[in-house]
Amino acid sequence: MLAKLKAATFEVLETMFYLFPESLEGGETLRSRGPFLRSSVTIAGPQAIRIGLQVPQSLACKMAANFLGATEAEISQTEMEDILKETTNMIAGSFLSKLEASAAFKLQTPLIQVLGAKDKNKKEPEKSLRFEVDEEVMELFVEKG
Amino acid sequence: MAYNVLIVDDSATMRALIRKVLVISGFDIGEYFEGANGLEALEILEQNWVDIILSDLHMPEMDGAGLVQELKKHEMWRNIPVVLITTEARPEVIKPFMNLGVQDYIQKPFRPELIRQKLSGLLGEARTTDASEIESCDF
Repeated sequence: MLAKLKAATFEVLETMFYLFPESLEGGETLRSRGPFLRSSVTIAGPQAIRIGLQVPQSLACKMAANFLGATEAEISQTEMEDILKETTNMIAGSFLSKLEASAAFKLQTPLIQVLGAKDKNKKEPEKSLRFEVDEEVMELFVEKG
Repeated sequence: MAYNVLIVDDSATMRALIRKVLVISGFDIGEYFEGANGLEALEILEQNWVDIILSDLHMPEMDGAGLVQELKKHEMWRNIPVVLITTEARPEVIKPFMNLGVQDYIQKPFRPELIRQKLSGLLGEARTTDASEIESCDF
């Protein structure tokens, strides 16, 4: 499952943002500065799961700038949040296609949270993947929905 | 030839992105309209001529399915090509929309060239159909 999720994530980041993530192995660390944005989308169905994406706000800003062809200074908080929600939605949609999941699985509306550095590590997700994207850390997680 | 395009999506950011992608793709846009849901799209159609509609599936007030159903009820609008822009391309999700009369879909993530290819194909087909209908009319 995680392999398909990773493939979906890479596909979305490369196609929509021209960003090329690299997997971070267990022990590898990168300094990441808050605040962080965490977006998640629930896939409702027989076994509901929630897929989420967490990035430093600075990375969300870069993503939005790439996405909209604007400079980072022109990007608003709403645009950053919209882009991250849309990215999570695209990853979840691509993931469902790769799984060839039945119509019983339905994407719900994505949600967004702004987290401070303290909130960020409060609850460890059940399964997660970490990537380096443009020298910043992106975390992808899967939880029971 | 320039085409009037209507984009329907509840996210202003996505509408901006789709517009940007259309421009990058080199698609010849005449007038550009946008609505945040199906109801807003219908209001725009009341006032303006639109050649093609790009619509999201899930929107508040009136979603993509509701919009297509309304379009099919009106003589003036029923032949406007509708393309879904969707994160979900599973056949089980798309097929009901195709049965409603949606012409095609584009799955996100997408590249500009794919949009151009799909729209040019559809509008080319629509024009050909119109021309053949006119030719076959018995005046």
